[in-house]
Amino acid sequence: MSKLSRNSVGVAALAFPTWAYLAFFFIIPVALVLWYSFGFKPDLFTAHDNSVLSLDRYFETADPTFLSTFWNTLQIAGVGTLICLLIGVPFAYWLAVKVPSRWRALLLALVLVPFWTNFLVRTLGWQILLAPEGFLSDALQTMHLTTGPLSILYTRAAVQLGVVYNYLPLMVMPLFVAMDRAGASLREASRDLGANRWRTLWQVTLPLAAPGIASGCLLVFIPLMGDYITASVLGGAQGNMVGQLVANQFNSAQNWALGSAMAVVLMIFILLTVAIVGAVILAVRAVLRHNRRVVMDRTDIESAVIEEAAA
Amino acid sequence: MHGNNPLKVLAPADAVPWISRRALLGGFGVVGLSIAASAGLSGCGRSQGFAASAVPNGEVGNQLNVYSWGDYEDPEDIADFEATGVRVQLDSFGSNEELIAKLAATRGTSGYDVIVPTGVYIPQMAANGLLQPLEHALIPNMANLDPEYLDQAWDPGNKYSLPKAWGTTGYVYDTRIIKRELTSWQDFLDAASKEAAGKTAVLEDSWEVVAIYLAAKHHDMNTEDPTLLDAAEDYLVNTLAKNIRAFNSTIVSTGIPQGTFALMQAFNGDARQGMLSSSDPERWKFVFPTPTANLWMDNWAVATGTQHPDAAYAFINHMLTPEAALREVQYIGYHTGAKGLKEAALADKMELPDLVFPPHDVLDRLKSAVLNEAQERRVQILNRMESKAGA
Repeated sequence: MSKLSRNSVGVAALAFPTWAYLAFFFIIPVALVLWYSFGFKPDLFTAHDNSVLSLDRYFETADPTFLSTFWNTLQIAGVGTLICLLIGVPFAYWLAVKVPSRWRALLLALVLVPFWTNFLVRTLGWQILLAPEGFLSDALQTMHLTTGPLSILYTRAAVQLGVVYNYLPLMVMPLFVAMDRAGASLREASRDLGANRWRTLWQVTLPLAAPGIASGCLLVFIPLMGDYITASVLGGAQGNMVGQLVANQFNSAQNWALGSAMAVVLMIFILLTVAIVGAVILAVRAVLRHNRRVVMDRTDIESAVIEEAAA
Repeated sequence: MHGNNPLKVLAPADAVPWISRRALLGGFGVVGLSIAASAGLSGCGRSQGFAASAVPNGEVGNQLNVYSWGDYEDPEDIADFEATGVRVQLDSFGSNEELIAKLAATRGTSGYDVIVPTGVYIPQMAANGLLQPLEHALIPNMANLDPEYLDQAWDPGNKYSLPKAWGTTGYVYDTRIIKRELTSWQDFLDAASKEAAGKTAVLEDSWEVVAIYLAAKHHDMNTEDPTLLDAAEDYLVNTLAKNIRAFNSTIVSTGIPQGTFALMQAFNGDARQGMLSSSDPERWKFVFPTPTANLWMDNWAVATGTQHPDAAYAFINHMLTPEAALREVQYIGYHTGAKGLKEAALADKMELPDLVFPPHDVLDRLKSAVLNEAQERRVQILNRMESKAGA
């Protein structure tokens, strides 16, 4: 056995917990979902059967209910990610650049405080807060800011509010890390070279934070597409999300084949959306870079070197 | 060292005397049976091969697993039963389909002993081997049940089930928003498109939602006639759906105190719970609508594959005592089917008794839901309504 292969076996063995975890809790379940999606539901009392394989479940998912719910979900997820980004970028910038370092840890901890409470309980809290007979509604009416009771609960607006609340920390954390990494010295260098604050933000801090922005958006968008708790608790007829349909097929209708097909379609759509948005961003960046690049003429450099030498 | 205790097991010392040879053999027997059962499963195909139920032997044991609807038993009744030394693990499901699915998928290894299916599902569940026939001799308190609620069409002779609670479907409305008197399902449809437009909730149950239209137009709620179902779809999808704010079977009890809806299709007991937790119960009015509505009954049953049959029977027997029945009706707001329950509840000054004990003319006009070939069509109608309402 060569030294190289011995070493790689050793490394693979050390990584055993990781790949075993991935294999058992990710690859095998996803493969099972894929396998089930080609099956069918034989009768009320059997959740799935794979004795006859077909693509029929995929045709069943293409019904108007699934598509319109999917479209709703995409809108909620897209708008939710955008709002999280719009709130998250200034906040993370402020936290990384403006806040004295002794307060930073405390503020970061405060961002994470909601995670100490169960996801469902937090969402139920919004139900109580937004209720027409709740104290927020009473307070707004007392201050004459609204006429009549608050009417947000069980609408798409409530779901939108709920998802932004639930996923904002997932946006803030990677943004903060990226902005922090951009570093005070680089900003200082930018100012030394004559850039004003805006130019420093746009051409130094944000480009360096781009990986953080991208990972924040992915961390919010992907779980949000599959979320169904927020929609079940805060959404009514108009706030339904595709995760609820998948959950219904597994829990209530007990049609694992159709539920699996829906889950697979959902995964493909998420991958496609991410790929398309990623491609657009890369294209925009390429165009921007092309337009911003500074062409150094060789003769300029040579003359500069000569001048320097002369001096 | 431990010379006086020849049995070496990994268990609390005080439990060791209980782990007898017989129990060990019993344990091996179960393992043997489940191996045989799984061998049978691979040999005989999907509808065979249930894990065997344990046979009652008079030893109640110390564990019972109950699978019921959410918040459907008074915790005090459970605590009373636990005082006899049996730990009760209470889990909840949200629909009969969910219950059936879990029992069918696990083939008797779900671990649940006592389950609470709705009457109309019992024939199919029994035919598919999900239910254990009841040993009536072990439930002497079934004598406390009113014969009016026994021997129903879906379980002749109560072979598999005993009544747990029955109720009916109606609706509740906010008298501040809907100022006129509503009495029928037609009034419901009318109010949903006027005063309560955009503030109406219906149950997330395809049979119940389609029944609103069928009952309003004086048709048979269980119809399989495609023309009637087409007409129902046309109205429900194109007229009613856009006025509906939520399809949800569980929000009535919170929706009333929160004041989120002006009009809600509701089961009578849930509406009562919601009204009792409202700061202003007078504001809400429950209607037993004309011309008819669903009369449903949830039932105690024992799941195939039960490992604690004695505890299961003891528990059902406990819940059928007059004291437990009185507590249950006050807690959940549904009639348990016990004899003389109305008199006992009135004597105990129960709140809002009219919602639990409808007058005889109401009872006489109620009909039970039937699961028939048109069920899939009903699910399709509800799906299309939800799609329309969400668009």
